[in-house]
Amino acid sequence: MDYSRQTILPQWGEAAQQKLRDSRILLVGAGGLGSAILPYLAAAGVGQLGIIDGDRIEASNLPRQVIYSESQIGSLKAEVASAYLKSRYSELSLVSYTSFLNETNASEIIRNFDLLIDATDDIATRYLIDEACLAAEIPWVYGSIHQFEGQVSVFNFNNGPTYRDLFPTQSRSAISCSEAGVLGPTVGLIGMLQANEALKIIAGFGTSLSGKLQIYNLLTNSQDIFEIEKKKESPSKEKSFRTELISIADAIQSQAILLDVRSFGELPEVSHKRYVQIPLAELADRWQNLDLERELVIFCQSGARSAQAAEILNGLGFRKIKVIKGGAKELAEKIDL
Amino acid sequence: MLKVKYFGILAEAVNQAEEEVSFDSGNLEVLVAQLKEKHSLEAHDFQIAVNRKIVSDLSAFKVKDSDEIAFLPAFAGG
Repeated sequence: MDYSRQTILPQWGEAAQQKLRDSRILLVGAGGLGSAILPYLAAAGVGQLGIIDGDRIEASNLPRQVIYSESQIGSLKAEVASAYLKSRYSELSLVSYTSFLNETNASEIIRNFDLLIDATDDIATRYLIDEACLAAEIPWVYGSIHQFEGQVSVFNFNNGPTYRDLFPTQSRSAISCSEAGVLGPTVGLIGMLQANEALKIIAGFGTSLSGKLQIYNLLTNSQDIFEIEKKKESPSKEKSFRTELISIADAIQSQAILLDVRSFGELPEVSHKRYVQIPLAELADRWQNLDLERELVIFCQSGARSAQAAEILNGLGFRKIKVIKGGAKELAEKIDL
Repeated sequence: MLKVKYFGILAEAVNQAEEEVSFDSGNLEVLVAQLKEKHSLEAHDFQIAVNRKIVSDLSAFKVKDSDEIAFLPAFAGG
């Protein structure tokens, strides 16, 4: 590979190219952001890329997840993304993990990498990433989307702030792309900003977004950068409860109770023999209706209320709880198949 | 008049990305509580920035008339 157009940049040079060749970067989530990030990091000459994602390619992914094609619907994203890059960049070393990042596998996987890039679509995983990167002492690049807006930052870099310093409590109302909607260029641009932050961190040039939250709005082409304060006593050092995610397919195949914590009357209706509904607001009063020993899989519209419900149930002594990755809409569709 | 900007799901909830508000008391916590009530934002979590600096202790912060306040929620999508 000829990297001369990069190495003639005075800020880059052979030294930065070598640092990139020696680097190992883990991408968490091979969806919209991941599809933008992966090709550019691979092409630039990263030594090793890890890709972790338990999802399979769906038709609704294709308009923005541009590294996948129609014939690959149903295949595992981590495997397809890995094969795509391998076919193009022979020197690149690739590792794919076809599960979701969770409490059990996080530290074992993350310790093999120098930098992590978050391209997930749920907030609970970001707290897990934050904690695991803090423990592994590696920086991570954050990126996230709400419709035409994107947030980018760098956490745990050179003793800088963490995600939990920015957002001390888990949001109850944030929604994913599958619920809020998204256009390809939005994830493309935000992913590109993330890839650029990763290159700057690895090579050690420019000014990173550590300690800053960048918000880009593609409807107005405006951008704002906010300064983040590092908390003196970082609460992220305390071990807190983590929700474990399960894919919709695995949830349907399991013997677990499918606990709907949406309010009564919310659509779509989900009908299944293991279906139980207790709205989040009533959970504290009605949890006795649930069997402490039985596996529970919780869902709502987007995952925000499920994560809160999991935390409440964990506090009440429930240990066999998982949260569905996705929402009621996707679950209802899969049950109907 | 203070300028207030809303991001992400909050811009949707408030139905505008920014507004100007008149505010007599200088306490940031009081201002945020008033805006939260005005726009029914009780179900949302967010951080507050003043002049592009995130403020963690709202009660100890005095806002001036020329300040720009931002409501910042976490985004989830990817």
